[in-house]
Amino acid sequence: MTLAAASDSPLSEEAYREAFGVVLSSRVRLARNLRGLPFPDRAPPAVRADVLRQVREAAAAELPVQEILAGTTPLFRQRLFEEHLISRALLEERPESAVCLDESRRRAVMINEEDHVRLQAIRAGLALQEAWADANALDDVLEQRLEYAFSSTLGYLTSCPTNVGTGMRASALMHLPGLVLMNEIEPIIRGLNKIGLTVRGRWGEGTAALGHMFQVSNQITLGLPEGRMVEDLEQIVKELAVHEGHARERFRRERRRAAADLAARAEGLLTSARLMTTQEALERLSELRLGIALGLTKRIGMRTVDRLLLDVQPAHLQSLAERAMDSEERDEARADRLRAELGRRTSRRTKRNA
Amino acid sequence: MLCESCHQKPATVHLTQIVDGKVEKHHLCEECARKQGLDVHAEPMDLGNMLETLKGQLAQLKAASGAAPEAGGAACPSCGTTRAEILKSGRMGCDRCYETFAAEMLPVVLSLQHADQHMGKVPRHASERLKTSVEQTRLRRELDQAVAAENYEEAARLRDRIKALPAGEGTA
Ligand SMILES: [Zn+2]
Ligand SMILES: [Zn+2]
Repeated sequence: MTLAAASDSPLSEEAYREAFGVVLSSRVRLARNLRGLPFPDRAPPAVRADVLRQVREAAAAELPVQEILAGTTPLFRQRLFEEHLISRALLEERPESAVCLDESRRRAVMINEEDHVRLQAIRAGLALQEAWADANALDDVLEQRLEYAFSSTLGYLTSCPTNVGTGMRASALMHLPGLVLMNEIEPIIRGLNKIGLTVRGRWGEGTAALGHMFQVSNQITLGLPEGRMVEDLEQIVKELAVHEGHARERFRRERRRAAADLAARAEGLLTSARLMTTQEALERLSELRLGIALGLTKRIGMRTVDRLLLDVQPAHLQSLAERAMDSEERDEARADRLRAELGRRTSRRTKRNA
Repeated sequence: MLCESCHQKPATVHLTQIVDGKVEKHHLCEECARKQGLDVHAEPMDLGNMLETLKGQLAQLKAASGAAPEAGGAACPSCGTTRAEILKSGRMGCDRCYETFAAEMLPVVLSLQHADQHMGKVPRHASERLKTSVEQTRLRRELDQAVAAENYEEAARLRDRIKALPAGEGTA
């Protein structure tokens, strides 16, 4: 799920915090396959090539930016993966795979992933219904040219039975530092699992989710209309966001000194470190983001933090520098970039990157 | 679908059991399920990891087919994927596999999804007959729920809508 979706928005800092402080983005993904053809893992190369051609043609008018992934560098795919434009499965070099994007990168189609077609639509903030409307409309366009595998009982037929029916996975990307710091996240995750929702770390697994970033999504894909599933999920995400707001407020009031220390320490490290790993950057940026939300850090805008959450990732860092770097070079370039963006001085570029 | 025990209330609890290598399906109303000692709400709606559930189901099927090895060799006429391959990978080979291996895979889908009928979008280019059939099933389920909830006004409205559907598949 792209983090850039929100940071492109023209809102004022205050309105930005209000809109994206807890829910950064919403995404709906649909799995589809072409009728009568073996699924990608089972298909001979000629069939996959035919699927690739058919889907590219069907998507061309809506999604003109088309990248054939086979034969690209791992760094190129890693960058798309960091933006959530391709899945982990396509990070590996899969034969006859491709991704088609629109100019804004809000809508995308992956070809020859686990299914012939995986299409997605992303919206900034909490906008699951809108994301579903976008995905649905894109699906309508593709369907004018493609004949989908469909059964009147099981709906859209997918390679894995966990996706049959609607083939839909709707998810919201949420920043939940309040619930984590107040030790309330675990029972909430268990409760959400019981009602058929999955909660995953955006970058890490489980409750130790890196940077307090979580993805909440539907698990069940069969038995309800898409609109209902999306509505139900949106309702729950809304409630969860309210809980997070309360938890943050309690953290600020009940643990006043700890909260002030956390925000100031994060700012200090981000603006003075000379080496910083991805993990540390994501953790400190999350704490800084919380500090901004609580009004403890006034000098830095939340939008800047959100852009950095993407830019500090390894592939983004290297494509900004326009060269491959080893791990220590990356840690240095990352620290340089964080100081340049967040530091008090206004110079935005360091000599090293020139 | 009505409860198979009391034949009165709509079946809302769908169970899949593998007994002596055979798949048994039971459809009960909540009350009858409770009477049989099934804790309805402890049902594994907890999908913490659906893929884990899938693996468990497939392992069970594999163990069951050990007793009936003649079933292991069946292959999909369209893509050639065998039953054994599906049980191993958890992935279907093509759309036709869902028909070929319906006997073992439908219960798996049911236990993963807690549903056995698609209620969502239908491709626009699907035949009118197919669209009507999905719509009819959807309305019938809503009707069952309305009746169970004693919401007779809603039930009457749904009955009218079912009658208004173009005649195609007569029965659901
Ligand atoms: Zn009964
Ligand atoms: Zn097949």
